[in-house]
Amino acid sequence: MTFALAVVPIALLLLGFPIFMVLLSAVTVALVFFMHVPLVVLHQNLFGSVNASALLAIPFFIYAGELMGRGSVAQRLVDFVQGGVGSVRGSLGVTAVGTSAIFGAISGASAATVATIGKVMVPAMRRAGYPETFTAGLITAVGAIDVIIPPSIPMIVYGAAAEESVARLYAAGVLPGLMIAAMLAVYVVWRARRENFGAGEPFDLQRFLRATVRSLWALGAPFIILGGIYGGIFSPTEAAAVACVYAALVTAFVFRELGWRDILEAAASTVLFTGQVLIIVACAGVFAWLLTVNQVPAAITAWLQSFNVSAWMLLLAINVLLLLVGCFLDPLSAILLLSPLLVPMVKAAGIDPVHFGIVVTVNLAIGLFHPPFGINIFVAQAVLGLKLETIYRGIIPFVIIYLVALALITYIPDISLIGVRYLLARG
Amino acid sequence: MIDQVFDRIARIIEVALALAFILAVLLNFANVVGRYLLGVSLLGSDEVQVFIMVGMTFIGAAVVTRRNAHLRMDVLLRFLPAPVLVVLRIVEQVLLVALAGFVLTQSYFYAWQMWLIGRTSDMAGVPMWIPHATVALGFGLILAVAVWRLTRMARHMPERPAGREAAP
Repeated sequence: MTFALAVVPIALLLLGFPIFMVLLSAVTVALVFFMHVPLVVLHQNLFGSVNASALLAIPFFIYAGELMGRGSVAQRLVDFVQGGVGSVRGSLGVTAVGTSAIFGAISGASAATVATIGKVMVPAMRRAGYPETFTAGLITAVGAIDVIIPPSIPMIVYGAAAEESVARLYAAGVLPGLMIAAMLAVYVVWRARRENFGAGEPFDLQRFLRATVRSLWALGAPFIILGGIYGGIFSPTEAAAVACVYAALVTAFVFRELGWRDILEAAASTVLFTGQVLIIVACAGVFAWLLTVNQVPAAITAWLQSFNVSAWMLLLAINVLLLLVGCFLDPLSAILLLSPLLVPMVKAAGIDPVHFGIVVTVNLAIGLFHPPFGINIFVAQAVLGLKLETIYRGIIPFVIIYLVALALITYIPDISLIGVRYLLARG
Repeated sequence: MIDQVFDRIARIIEVALALAFILAVLLNFANVVGRYLLGVSLLGSDEVQVFIMVGMTFIGAAVVTRRNAHLRMDVLLRFLPAPVLVVLRIVEQVLLVALAGFVLTQSYFYAWQMWLIGRTSDMAGVPMWIPHATVALGFGLILAVAVWRLTRMARHMPERPAGREAAP
């Protein structure tokens, strides 16, 4: 059985086989050669794993982001944030951080944010004389905020894998996301002052008001999504569907930028994304079922408890593991592969699974831009025309900032849990 | 010729699923509006939305397979010599044929049972063989794609690039 549940998946994963095949191979070998159960359980679990209404929020949020990203929403948000912080030294860098945070409250697809925000910000930062390494590092790193600030796709997947409330995870993700954004903004201003670049312009109230009016419709999306969820008006899935309709109406009829064909093509892109991700969710569901019926999580938890490992040591070990895994695997696959093993362990150690969900998300968000293989690095290289060595040199300070934030989030659970206590509607 | 047929089928599936997905969004939105403005709910709309997502998952995965766009950890592949990569690609397709064939038989059997007993979903009354058959259909299409890829490899035909190949 160890061969089926450990050797087969690890070997196929390292050999670059598609993740869904890795999981399906392990499951099939276990079912056919080691377990004496009707083989039809394979179909029942494949179907049952995705026959869940909570997962609908994934394609819905992706679609809302697709629609918003195809129009001028990014430019409108950039103008709004720049209008507000333009007088600060390093304001373009702060604008990149602020715009990414707002964009993250609409969609939550990190690579798309790097491409969308980067296309607007990189030329502007070049013209303003920002150092190329700084620009490359910042733009590559800011997209990771998007998977931490709700709505976050990895949090939905974690919620499904760990059987946790997505609304509670979303409430927990707000403060960590804003904290990281604030840390990045402070670093940007400090660096701009120290190296004397990115001089600010005098605050222009007229310009700011104009930009605010132009961005009001775009700012309505995060207001509807997060206000609806935290106010208890919508479930996360309903908030996502409302956001889709809102995004379609605004981009098609208010901004007049998208036609019916664009709306259909955005849906087609969402279909492809769903096919890529939920097939892994389906196969991971069977894999998790297999682990559970073979009592693997319980055995690992008992083994770990025999060492009397404290909660902080366990979290440290898991952080190192997740950072390593995040360098090689995308967040969704990593969550689906590891949650069945890690969640029972942390629950046994007395760690709140919602807090742990945020720790997992931040870890894997770092993996999105961590050298050498973070996906956002290659997005920045391909879409924005930034050189790989420039990105690698520029990214280091931002990795350090995220790691400091990760340590704070890991060892001060209230940074996450305070949102659960105060943001969600009572009753 | 066969590649063009595969591409055409993939595109038709993609557009059909996209339209079904837009219907799911509208159903969900109508439910929210109905609940708050009219005090009514569309019974069974949740089931229909989820079944559409199930179809997007398994039939959509066949389109992803055709476009060679499945998520994978390909870091180590960059360091392997070309002949090893060729062998790995063949092994991958053989394994995919075996896995897809296995799931297809199990899912077909299950959907057939649903058809025989005539089971319907609790609220919307959707015949349950339909959503279950999407699993069989998806893996059946994946099987067809993998068999054609193996055929191409056997004939030493040039490989097609990954991504949105040949999509109009």
